[in-house]
Amino acid sequence: MASRFWTQGGSDTEEEESDYEEESETAAGPGEGGGRTQTNRYLKTDNASDSDDSDGQRRIVRSARDKRLDEMAATLDQIRNAMKINDWVSLQESFDKINKQLEKVARVIEGDRPPSLYIKALVMLEDFMAEALANKEAKKKMSSSNAKALNSMKQKLKKNNKQFEDYIIKYREKPESEGEGEEEEEEEEEEEGSEFEEDLTNISKPDEEEEEEGEEGEGTGEGAWEKKMSKKDKLMDKQFMKDPSEITWEIVDKKFKEIVAVRGRKGTGRIEQVEQLTFLTKVAKTPAQKLEILFSVISAQFDINPSLSGHMPINVWKKCVENMLIVLDILEQHPNILVDDSVEPEEKETQKGADYKGTIRVWGNLVSFVERLDSEFFKSLQCIDPHTNEYVKRHRDEPMFLVLAQDVQDYLERLGDFKAASKVALRRVELVYYKPQEVYDAMRRLAERRADGEDKDDAEAGEEGLVQEEIRGPLSFVVVPEVASRVPSFPESSRAFMDSLISLIYKHGDERTKARTMLCDIYHHSIFDEFAVARDLLLMSHLQDGVQHMDRSTQILFNRAMAQLGLCAFRGGLVPEAFGCLSELYTGGRVKELLAQGVSQSRYHEKTPEQEKLERRNQMPFHMHINLELLEAVHLICAMLLEVPNMAANTHDSRRRVISKTFRRLLEMSERQTFTGPPENVRDHVMAATRALTKGDFQQCFAVIDSLGTWKLLREREAILDMLKAKIKDEALRTFLVTYSSCYDSLSLDRLAAMFGLSEDHAHSVASKMMISEELQASWDQPTRCIVFHNVEPTRLQALAFQLTDKLNILAESNERAYEARTGGGLDGLPPRRRGEGQDYTGGGGGGGGKWQDGSFSASQGGRQQGRPGYGGGNRFGGGQQGGGGFSRDRGGQGGRGGGGGGGGYSSGYHTGRYQDAYGRSPYQAAVKGSQHETSARMVSLSRAGRV
Amino acid sequence: MALHQQYDLTSRIAAHLDRHLVFPLLEFLQERQQYPDDEILKAKIELLSETNMVDYAGDIHKSLYHTEEVPKEMLDRRAEVVMRLKSLEDSAAPLISFLQNASLVQELRPDKQYNLMMLNERYQIGPDQIEALYQYAKFQFECGNYSGAADYLYQYRALCTNSDRSLSALWGKLAAEILMQNWDTALEELNPSFFLVTPTLQNFSSPLSQLQNRIWLMHWSLFIFFNHENGRNGIIDLFFQDRYLNAIQTNAQHLLRYVGTAVIVNKRRRNMLKELVKVIQQEQHSYKDPITEFLECLYVNYDFEGAQQKLRECEIVILNDPFLGKRVEDATFSTVPLRDEFLENARLFIFETYGRIHQRIYIGMLAEKLNMDEDEAKRWIMNLVRNSKLDARIDSASSSLIMGTNHLNIYEQIIENAKNLSMRTSVLAKNILENVQPQGSR
Repeated sequence: MASRFWTQGGSDTEEEESDYEEESETAAGPGEGGGRTQTNRYLKTDNASDSDDSDGQRRIVRSARDKRLDEMAATLDQIRNAMKINDWVSLQESFDKINKQLEKVARVIEGDRPPSLYIKALVMLEDFMAEALANKEAKKKMSSSNAKALNSMKQKLKKNNKQFEDYIIKYREKPESEGEGEEEEEEEEEEEGSEFEEDLTNISKPDEEEEEEGEEGEGTGEGAWEKKMSKKDKLMDKQFMKDPSEITWEIVDKKFKEIVAVRGRKGTGRIEQVEQLTFLTKVAKTPAQKLEILFSVISAQFDINPSLSGHMPINVWKKCVENMLIVLDILEQHPNILVDDSVEPEEKETQKGADYKGTIRVWGNLVSFVERLDSEFFKSLQCIDPHTNEYVKRHRDEPMFLVLAQDVQDYLERLGDFKAASKVALRRVELVYYKPQEVYDAMRRLAERRADGEDKDDAEAGEEGLVQEEIRGPLSFVVVPEVASRVPSFPESSRAFMDSLISLIYKHGDERTKARTMLCDIYHHSIFDEFAVARDLLLMSHLQDGVQHMDRSTQILFNRAMAQLGLCAFRGGLVPEAFGCLSELYTGGRVKELLAQGVSQSRYHEKTPEQEKLERRNQMPFHMHINLELLEAVHLICAMLLEVPNMAANTHDSRRRVISKTFRRLLEMSERQTFTGPPENVRDHVMAATRALTKGDFQQCFAVIDSLGTWKLLREREAILDMLKAKIKDEALRTFLVTYSSCYDSLSLDRLAAMFGLSEDHAHSVASKMMISEELQASWDQPTRCIVFHNVEPTRLQALAFQLTDKLNILAESNERAYEARTGGGLDGLPPRRRGEGQDYTGGGGGGGGKWQDGSFSASQGGRQQGRPGYGGGNRFGGGQQGGGGFSRDRGGQGGRGGGGGGGGYSSGYHTGRYQDAYGRSPYQAAVKGSQHETSARMVSLSRAGRV
Repeated sequence: MALHQQYDLTSRIAAHLDRHLVFPLLEFLQERQQYPDDEILKAKIELLSETNMVDYAGDIHKSLYHTEEVPKEMLDRRAEVVMRLKSLEDSAAPLISFLQNASLVQELRPDKQYNLMMLNERYQIGPDQIEALYQYAKFQFECGNYSGAADYLYQYRALCTNSDRSLSALWGKLAAEILMQNWDTALEELNPSFFLVTPTLQNFSSPLSQLQNRIWLMHWSLFIFFNHENGRNGIIDLFFQDRYLNAIQTNAQHLLRYVGTAVIVNKRRRNMLKELVKVIQQEQHSYKDPITEFLECLYVNYDFEGAQQKLRECEIVILNDPFLGKRVEDATFSTVPLRDEFLENARLFIFETYGRIHQRIYIGMLAEKLNMDEDEAKRWIMNLVRNSKLDARIDSASSSLIMGTNHLNIYEQIIENAKNLSMRTSVLAKNILENVQPQGSR
């Protein structure tokens, strides 16, 4: 019975506690006591044995009574309404209801006297009944159901009223004074009782019980416990202050176990538990015990926020960090204490005092605490609105955490637990990797200023602490000096910071830790414009092969690293490489999701709430975002630079190679527009630039690009724009030469150079390159410094004949593959992977075969070409393992070719992996994207099954 | 810093060589007079201090400080070395005496286990003695007695069962052969050891040590490849294997110089050029020297002026490189054969590329590009044309060279495209039929 109250009450307490709070504050001591009296009395009558729940119950008693009475009043109103319309059916229902409520109230209200409200209702009903029975006319007019109800009501009422005859009579005598008098009476009673009770407890109850009392007092304070501190402390002091020497390890231990046992149970006040435990840390007898309790405090603090999506309150987080530091202090001071979560320590392990020489084992896991703290920090940044001051303030806590992480790492390293240390190191790396040097410096300065200003802060805090200490009474028995450093030490450059941590992690970390570190490292190198280093790291680590099997946040990290790598390549003027890195992100049009920087709505697919929640949980905090506008600009510009000459070269060619499908689609869309307005967004700008570039008008093209606002985000804006201008000139020249070669017989170098504002050498080099690669059917006439064009444009018939042979070739190829796929052989001695690849080709080829009627060969060509650059890239660094995964992706070919343009075999290397992973990482969408991605989607769902 | 010093790779290469193998490099540097003599001598002493070639170190010390006295520690060391040698000799003596007796050696059979048993039973030569042989050989090597070391190591390998030891014996043998300049044997030796490094190591060693081993092997092999007449093909075969190319890209980019040179000089391995250029481009941020830059100018940027200039730098680099700049002394004058070959081939490269994109070239200009005078250039071109390496004619009137156009006839292209279709289809059809028939008969 009691427990039923308990659960019901638990949900209401929050609303009610404040009421109670006010009351108890005004009522001070006696009120408090009164509450207890009631409980105790209740306990005696009802369920005296269940002492554990006593504090909760008492609280509920008070509130539940009010609540029941309220309910009853509501029912009374219903009865009145029913009377007005003479509706006996609903009257009957209400009557049943009020009887039920009475039962409940009876449980709440002590004694056997029913509440006056109920009596009032009975009186009212009796009167009305008499009236109704008297009025025969009306009775006849009633509907049958109504009459039936009236009759049954008559009998019920009669029977019922017998029980309460006395009260009814009393009520009829003086209906108003009844209720008031009763209440007064009650209060008097309470007051009397409380005094009595208090005396009793003080005198007779043993220590243990008193403790409980203290807890009760504390328990009432839930929510506003800070205000109530003094009172509670007074109570606590009663047990512990009375005679410090009497407090033994056993008492503390027992109490501790009691509190811990309640943990996680429904309705346990989480905050109050923290408070209780915090108090216990003060009275702990040995350092080991203090440590043990502190661990529980920290766990309890983590418990305060139970939901996965919300974050821990910031003040609790800070307290938690402080607690961790104290833990470290203890560990530092008592090197014989070992923290371990593998073995269950012995019962009395923590009893061993500070002077105990042997090792003391305490259960706990520092690393997981640090990790949890970090996640909470991350979550809080996710949740806080980035445009508020709070967000900025929250950032100031970062050094605090870094200090803690550093200390824990140092401690673990001293212990020789490098594996754990590397985990902590990873957390540190992840806080720093995305910071450019300026931001890093700012953080360092902040930390230093903290350190300087800490004295002041500390002094204040100390005073506060002192005040609190005084209020709280006893100083903790185990005084811990601050041994662990509170001041972070950051190396001058973030690179040095990263290097020191990274080398540790590479040596000792597990696979996931290493992979994440590698990605962070790549990201960091990219920020610092070290493309070659970052690229080599990426390629040598083979990360892109395995990333689709990794967890979601690692995949996001991978995407971020790729995006940053692309930006870095662009800054360095490596257009094909930049395109190779970025094109992937943009193929699905889900950049935001892939980078976890917001949610894009998909038209085709409704997300389930779980997916959305999952997605939200992985979002990057605002300060870690990569500017999407810049990213898009870079991607589209790279695509433009590669695609425009390519389009010019292949206008009539049957084997149209598409470098960037995304770009082509955008271009088509913009061409379809009947009216092109001035460019507004990034896309418009690039499209306008593309139109200019197609005509070979580099000036206009550059002017449009230059007007993009997003360039101000770049550090070396001028240099990059110059680079861009040079690139645009080159491509304009190439486009021009290809497009208009049929109109010229010869073209002088001087003129060409002048037209595009290039140096003659450069123009010569560009043209020569085209001649060598046979993009341009021409040659130089050295004495006159002219390009002589050999117009070898095939006639229509010839072109068609070419197309025919091409198609036949493709047909033959796909036949062969189909045969191979069918027989599973024909390529004896090749490793199985290769063969699998062959089968995938078949898929690609087959797709092409279906399409070739409408003259588009892109799909099958994609399938065919992907292999070649892939091998080139795959061989590098990797003993050939690298290329494997990605070949089956249909679009692997495009990317490879994109990279191939600049001769970078490696770019195909990272494409291959990227594709799968782009789809791999958001499986919930992959399914929608059409058949060509199906393989990857399937792959992912398999791999995810175990993980999520 | 002078050009030749700037591109001196000695320090980078030495890191991957055996101590003893660095000597030839230092000798070369001394010969080239690139660095002050004193510095080199000091470096030599430094080098020798870890070896047992105490007498030699003493000699160098004398010549360096122009004294007759040898420092005391060197004398001490000498005594120690001699003592050590004695003791090792003693412990290995039974086996050595056995091996020196030709008739006894005849008893050995190819079966290792049998040999061990036999030695153990009849001559009381156990694993200890065999181990002693290894130590003794190593000591001999340290002392500079390479031929002795090589012999002992050879015999040790016949008896040894420990694969790690066997491998280091192999390395020792290779080093000894190189130092004795037995290029033929060294090349032979290279093959087994190179096989050892590639496949077997793979099974039981970390990728890192594999990489290290490969890099060592490549460095050591430079001695052989650039001294053996057959080495030019060998270097390309070895270095262009994927694993080795990866190793170069990962940790030994400076080897690109040698690969580049080898490819340029080797007429028959032209096809490797494309791959090499790709690699060079990828690594240009981490390694650059005139030879790689030359290739880059020529095949990436088509910058002929630049290539020209780089070619001149290449010459200096080649002359000052210990592997490339090997001299051949004739009675009266000395030449560097590799340089001449390199220049000749590089010139041809430039000309070829230049010719491909030009229709008409002024010969005077060409001569300038090729570092020749006009008549010489004309003769050179005429030779090329005559050897039908070049489809071109000289127009004497305008003193220009007219390149033949080499466009494929469009019909030829179409025929080319369709040519193998019928063959492929018939093969396919045959395959299908073959597959179907057995099934049908079953």
